[in-house]
Amino acid sequence: MRRHLAIFLPLLLLWWLVIQLNHYLAPWRMFVSLGGLFIAFVALQLPQRIGLIAALFAGLICDASQPVHFGFHAFLFGLATVIVQRQRPRLDRFEPTTQRTIALLANLVLFIVTALFHLRHVPAEGRLVSRFLWDLLFSELVLWAIAPWFLALQRQALELADPLAASEDRRQVD
Amino acid sequence: MTTRPVAPCADRGRPTPALSPVPSRRFDQARPFATLAIVVLVWLLLPVAVKSFLRVSFFEFEAPLEVSASYARDLQEYWGLRLHSNTDLIAAGRDMARLHAAYDNNIQQNAELRGQIERLESLLRLPSFPEYRSEPARVVRRDFSAWWQRVVIRKGKNFGIVEGSPVVFTGGVAGRVSEVRSTTAIVELVSSPNVRLAAVVEGDTRPMSYQGGINPSFAPPKGNVEFMPLDIFATRTAPRRLVTSGLGGVFPPGLTIGYVVSADPSTDGLFKTGEVELDSRLSSLTEVTVLVPLEAN
Repeated sequence: MRRHLAIFLPLLLLWWLVIQLNHYLAPWRMFVSLGGLFIAFVALQLPQRIGLIAALFAGLICDASQPVHFGFHAFLFGLATVIVQRQRPRLDRFEPTTQRTIALLANLVLFIVTALFHLRHVPAEGRLVSRFLWDLLFSELVLWAIAPWFLALQRQALELADPLAASEDRRQVD
Repeated sequence: MTTRPVAPCADRGRPTPALSPVPSRRFDQARPFATLAIVVLVWLLLPVAVKSFLRVSFFEFEAPLEVSASYARDLQEYWGLRLHSNTDLIAAGRDMARLHAAYDNNIQQNAELRGQIERLESLLRLPSFPEYRSEPARVVRRDFSAWWQRVVIRKGKNFGIVEGSPVVFTGGVAGRVSEVRSTTAIVELVSSPNVRLAAVVEGDTRPMSYQGGINPSFAPPKGNVEFMPLDIFATRTAPRRLVTSGLGGVFPPGLTIGYVVSADPSTDGLFKTGEVELDSRLSSLTEVTVLVPLEAN
């Protein structure tokens, strides 16, 4: 139970922080999306099944507070997690730099896929490109800045909650 | 010649590819995708009622977190205001008293005008405009993405807010309530591309269609107007005020939407299309008023 809380509570905290950040950025018509950070740790460090469940949970949290089909982000996060999990034997996945890079790349891809999905609901105008680029740039910058802290928080929470299981996860054979 | 990749430290100890049978390894690799596919399939087969219930459950689970942040902001503001000197407070009180006097005068005028409207409605047998109850509400969360612009307010079913109610602020129309939960409600802002309403240019009675538009960063919120009569002109130096028409029965007539700053002939040449500049305070709302239709309650 403690281990599950240690996995899910940081994700909930991240969602809350993103919400607050977007609240304060609204006067500048900016929007931050940190999908990549939701999945980076769970995809790289947790066992596959738990990682997938955590990513789906994070996706559903995001879905509930946004006007999208319920399950949209859950599916995207799940797919991104599975893809990263497939690649992780080739990566030095416990290295913070790798985790940060994966978070940035995953965020970029998730941002573009989400934008392509939403594009059909809004009129295509030149202004949209500049808005899209600003949001993407700012999202990546914020992710780059907070990723080390958040990934460390997730790791520490897991080690505090269940040190034995955390070390088992490190040794786990995929 | 190809070289086999060397497994990194973390994956040492796993069986080498040459030792495990190929079909099993392939299945192992595809297993996460298969799991996800099964999850997606189960999700698609779930009844809509279950998904709606799950969505509402997640939303209600998140609501206290959002609302608590809003209360924390209020407290922060309160302590900020406590730092003001007595002189500032006296000056603010004096300004408030002046405003109060002006509003008192307006209330009397409004009562007189309302009486006139009622008399005219009964004389001409016109259908009366819907009556509203004003419900002020604090903004819990602002969401200003490229795809939608919404705010979450701190009142919901507990205050009798109903879906579709118009929402106003000091600058005019703020938007309309799109979802109502037990203690919160979501307001789709007038700048959102999903919002469409009937509007008229001030001083004109011909209706046109207003729709929220794309909102660029670091610029005022914008919208678009369509089916504008050809004899209406608007430029950035001589903008025209766009107000609600009252058609459709959702918004009362005469509320400011924004200012038409350009009007160009549409491709068919029958009408004009224009750009509407909205109030820049729309993206920094802290308090709004929901106009709850009285018939709804």
